[in-house]
Order: sequence, then structure tokens, then C-alpha cells
Amino acid sequence: MPLDTSAYSLALLRVDGRRWNELRRIHAQIRTQAAADGSSYLEMGHTKVMCVVNGPSEPGPRRGATSGGGGGGGQSKNAEVAVNIVIAGFSSVDRKRRGRGDKHILELQSTISQALAASLHTHLFPHSTINISLHVLSQDGSLLAALINAATLACVDAGIPMTDYVAACTAGSTSTYAANDEGADPLLDMNHQEEQELPGLTVATLGDSDRVAVLVCESRVQVSRLEGMLAVGVDGCKQVREILDRVVREKGIKMIQEGTVERGVGLNDMELD
Amino acid sequence: MASSQHVLLSPAELAYLHASLNLTPPIRPDGRSPTQFRPLVAETGILPGTNGSARICFADGTEAIVGVKAEVERTRTRHDFPSLDEGTEDDDDLDDNQNDVIKGDNDWVEMTVEIPGYRDDDAGTVFLSVMLSEALLADGEFTKRLWINQRFHWKLYLDILLISPPLSYPLPLLSLTTHLALLAARLPRLKSEGDEDPLFDDDWAAAPYLYPRPSEKGSKATAPAPAARPPVTLLVMAVGNNIIFDPSKEELAVADVALAVSVGESSSTTTSTTSSKPTAMDIDTEETKGHNLRLLSVRTIDPPSRLTPPGIPNASNSAYGANAGVKDTEKKKQQQEQARTAESEAVEGVWKAPRGGAKTLVMATMVQKVLEKGGVADEVLDALDGVDLN
Repeated sequence: MPLDTSAYSLALLRVDGRRWNELRRIHAQIRTQAAADGSSYLEMGHTKVMCVVNGPSEPGPRRGATSGGGGGGGQSKNAEVAVNIVIAGFSSVDRKRRGRGDKHILELQSTISQALAASLHTHLFPHSTINISLHVLSQDGSLLAALINAATLACVDAGIPMTDYVAACTAGSTSTYAANDEGADPLLDMNHQEEQELPGLTVATLGDSDRVAVLVCESRVQVSRLEGMLAVGVDGCKQVREILDRVVREKGIKMIQEGTVERGVGLNDMELD
Repeated sequence: MASSQHVLLSPAELAYLHASLNLTPPIRPDGRSPTQFRPLVAETGILPGTNGSARICFADGTEAIVGVKAEVERTRTRHDFPSLDEGTEDDDDLDDNQNDVIKGDNDWVEMTVEIPGYRDDDAGTVFLSVMLSEALLADGEFTKRLWINQRFHWKLYLDILLISPPLSYPLPLLSLTTHLALLAARLPRLKSEGDEDPLFDDDWAAAPYLYPRPSEKGSKATAPAPAARPPVTLLVMAVGNNIIFDPSKEELAVADVALAVSVGESSSTTTSTTSSKPTAMDIDTEETKGHNLRLLSVRTIDPPSRLTPPGIPNASNSAYGANAGVKDTEKKKQQQEQARTAESEAVEGVWKAPRGGAKTLVMATMVQKVLEKGGVADEVLDALDGVDLN
């Protein structure tokens, strides 16, 4: 779909009315599913994903196409992080069915698996598997970022020790051609329309730090613009991390208030309003 | 994914469970009555990007999401259509079943089931989707709803996602979720007439439901008649002569027979009994109040109990009782003999996997219990009526 990107320079507003540095609405829930060890639901704009984590557990018989990463198999010293992504047929505007062996899905799976394996303390669970299954219910850009964020939340819910949140978001650049180099603004959190038209990258950072855990760029972009995009992306990741952290804290407070979990040591000074 | 999910129960536990379910009345592990269902959480219209969607969470934590998506497709061949009188064509309504021009094709519905950790060409997954689509297409009425005109039809994609790991046999969950998604499904209102290229109203609020509501004015000639509903597939199991509905994973592990019974509801209130008695009239009016149930399909499901390990009776247990002090050669001979008897006859209180088919009488009772007025299917449909469709 052709997107009139030239309109941006007039009012400095994007197609959905955002400024260049604004995120879309992020709404997240954790512990959405009783049967799993950890689960989450995340919306970034109209991109909606669900995540279910099972494990760490004894690796079962290997069925289906799961992509393992970060330590191989059940015999290793580290837990294997197996990620399985299901993109629902109804998730995009036109129904498109992707098979199991779809290269795009496989790449997403291994990216998430490797990012999380680096952040989770997998060495604490030798000879075991952490099964992460992700369901994409609705797609509107920034799919990989949404999947990473949902997987992080579900791992937090599952109580798997990890270094910090792996928070992700996307960044893009307003113009596609080199001539307009000085007029190009970096953009934060691209939607589907922008992703179709403009160069963009997905970046994930580890917690509050500037340490980049994932960097995926699938489009052609001028090197001179990359730095600006990356800076905006990393900045966005920090905002995303705040949002994820708030979701976890709110759920934690709620669970203490409902008496689902014991109030832990050192929590007395925490404000429960 | 077979129905045979691994249940970690010992033969002694299986025997106990089987015995308590075999009592009259049966005692279920969670204290339910034989026909009682577990509570569930259901919502519809969760995905605005679909024509209809639904989500159901069962009490055991299993969760499913179904999305319905429709696309306009050109009908390929029409050689089977006879030349019809074009003058009296007033088929602007999709649900005009009386018009025999409207024909459906089973290819117009595509159903996929996704179960995490299982390939989509796994035998179990395929079996599930076939069972679900079979119930939907059984009476041939459903595809008629997808008819637009002679040249075009709706192609309906039903994508069924099991979100949770498959803890118990997910058939009833998937069936109920599909049911709700189809009830909530709407297709854009047709603006064009006759065999023109279809043109649709872009006002979503005006879009009619795929299954029209009985309360909707003008959609049905007979207002009080209950509208047709998508089918529901229920899992029924039997232990001895007891018939148990909505079995949990543990209960299914000791089932003698497991059946998947698909029940539909037809819109037509034609009662086969055309008796002239006035009492029959009363019965008829009563019937319109309830659901007009039809049996669509019955399939036996291989119960996981067949794969459970058998227990060893004390008599043939060499580490116990009479055999403990017997000499080796004697022991061996005795053991072989007893092993043979253990194979052939059941010992009270010792678990043995059920063998052989189901009794005809039990099967008949199972189906009858589902279908009877005020029976389980009635109850389930009533309960699903309570779900807010938006």
C-alpha cells in the first residue's frame, strides 16, 4: 500500500497521528493462563500477542518444529530455550497462512531464543528445557519487538531467574532515499504501514543499560542514519522497560493484596495502595 | 496429539478411580454429578480484525481462541445449476434456505487447528480438525449461508488456536470456542442485487450475523422459532454402565468408552409427529421452547485407558503372599499359569486396561442422554446463550 510519506514533513505528524518519538499504546497483562507456569498478553498498538511459558522442565520427546538456542539439547549444562511461534491465520488483514517451516518464523524463533537464553540464568537448570510458545493474534508492525516483550513478561511470571528485562522496540527513518538525508527524522515504534514503506530496525536492550541484546535490520538504510535510529530505539526500549516493570509490579501488589502470595521480607516498606 | 495424554497414575490409583466411578451414583474426584460441567470463562468479539472471534478458558486452565475470517471468492463451476426463473429471484438474504437455488460446497470452509508443540500435519491435529469440520458440514445447511450469488460465495477460514499446552483432550474446548466464534461472526451486508459483482455495505453495524439471532426482526418469518446454531461436540465417557460428561484428564484415563457426540440445532420447527390430538399440540409448544436438537455425528475416541499399565494381582505377585516361599521351578510354572489367568480375567480391585468394544446399550444411552429434552446438550446450549455476543 503506497504511503504518502511526504506528508510527514508538513506537520511532523505520522500517519497515525504520533510524533517521531512517541510509542503506541502498550497494554500488558501477566498470569493470564492458569495451566501454564508463566503467561502474558501484550498489545503494542494493534499488534497483539500471547505468550505461554512452560518449564524449566525435563525435556520431553521432541516433536514439532521448535527452534532451540542457547545451549543445545537436554544433555547440556544449560537449559535449552525452545521457542515456538504460531502466527494465527486471522492475524493480518488478508488471511495468509504460514507453514511450520516458514523461514521468517524460524528466524524470529531463533532470535528470541538466543536473546532470552542470554538473559535467563539457564546455567541453573541443567538438562532441562524452557518451552516458550508465542501466539500472534493480530499484527500491525513491530512484531518481533512485541514477541520479545511478551516472552520477557511470561518468563518473569514463570519465576525463571533472569538478569534483567529484555525490552524491545522498533525504530525507523522518515525517508527512504539518500538525497533527503538531512531532512530525515528517526521514528520510534513503527506500525505496519510504516514498516512497509520505510527502513527500520528492531532493537532490544537489557534492562536499564544501553547494552543491546537484539538488533535486527531487514531493510536497506544509509549508514549515516543508523546511529540516529539506534539511539531512538534504545531510548524507546527504556520506556518499554518502564511499562513492563509497572505491569509486573502492579500484578505483584495485586497478588499480595489478594493473598495469593505471602508478603515477602523487605516488602513492608513497599507502598500498597 | 492423541487422546492418550500421559497421566501419571499408578495401577492402584487407576483401579480406585475406576471403582469409584463405577458406583451408583458415581463418585467423581472433584465431587461433580455425572452430568455436571466444570465452570468456564468465555468471551466473544475479542479480535476486531476478524469477522468473529471467541475465547474460552476451562477450569483446568486450558484456553483456546478461534478467529473466523471470510473472503469473497468466485464460484468456479456452475454446470450443475439448472436454468432457473430469473424473474422471481429475491435471494438478497443469505439465510434464505428455502430457495433451492442456494447451494453450498464443503470447500468453502477451511478449518485449521494449531496446537503448540504439535505439527499441523500431526495425525491427532488433523483428526481434531476433521471431527470439528465434519460436525459443521454434516447437514449441508451451513455452507448455504456462505452463498452470495451464483457467481460468488464467501470462503470462510476458521483458525483454531489452543493457547495452553494440551492438558486434557481438547476436543470439547475447541468445539465450544468454535461454536461461539461462529455465533459472533458477521458478514458485511450485501448491497448489490442478483448476480452482479458483490458490493457490500461498509457499515459494520449493519452487518448481519452469520447465524441470525431469533430476536432480530425480519430475519425469520417465524419469530419465536429458535434460530439455528452451529454444532457442539461433546465428549462423553462411560465407566461400566455410568455415563459421565465433561471428563477430566484423570477420569478419561479410566474410561471404558469415550465418544465425541456432535449435536446441532435446526431452525425448522417441523415436528415429525403430525398427530391430531390436542395433547400433542401442548407437547409441540413445549418443544419450541427448548432446543430442536439433531444428532450430527458420533465418533469413538480411543480412550487413553487402553495404554495404561495393568496392576499385578497378589496371587501372581512373586514378592508377595503364597508365592513368596515356593521353590523356583514350581514358582515359574505357577507364575506362568497365573499370568495367563491374569490376562484373561479381571481380579477385583486390580487395574486392567479395558479391552474390547463398547456395549451397544451403553453407546445408545450415551447418545440418548446427550439428546434428550433438558439433557446435557440442552443445558450446554442454554449456558452458551448466556454469553454476551458483541
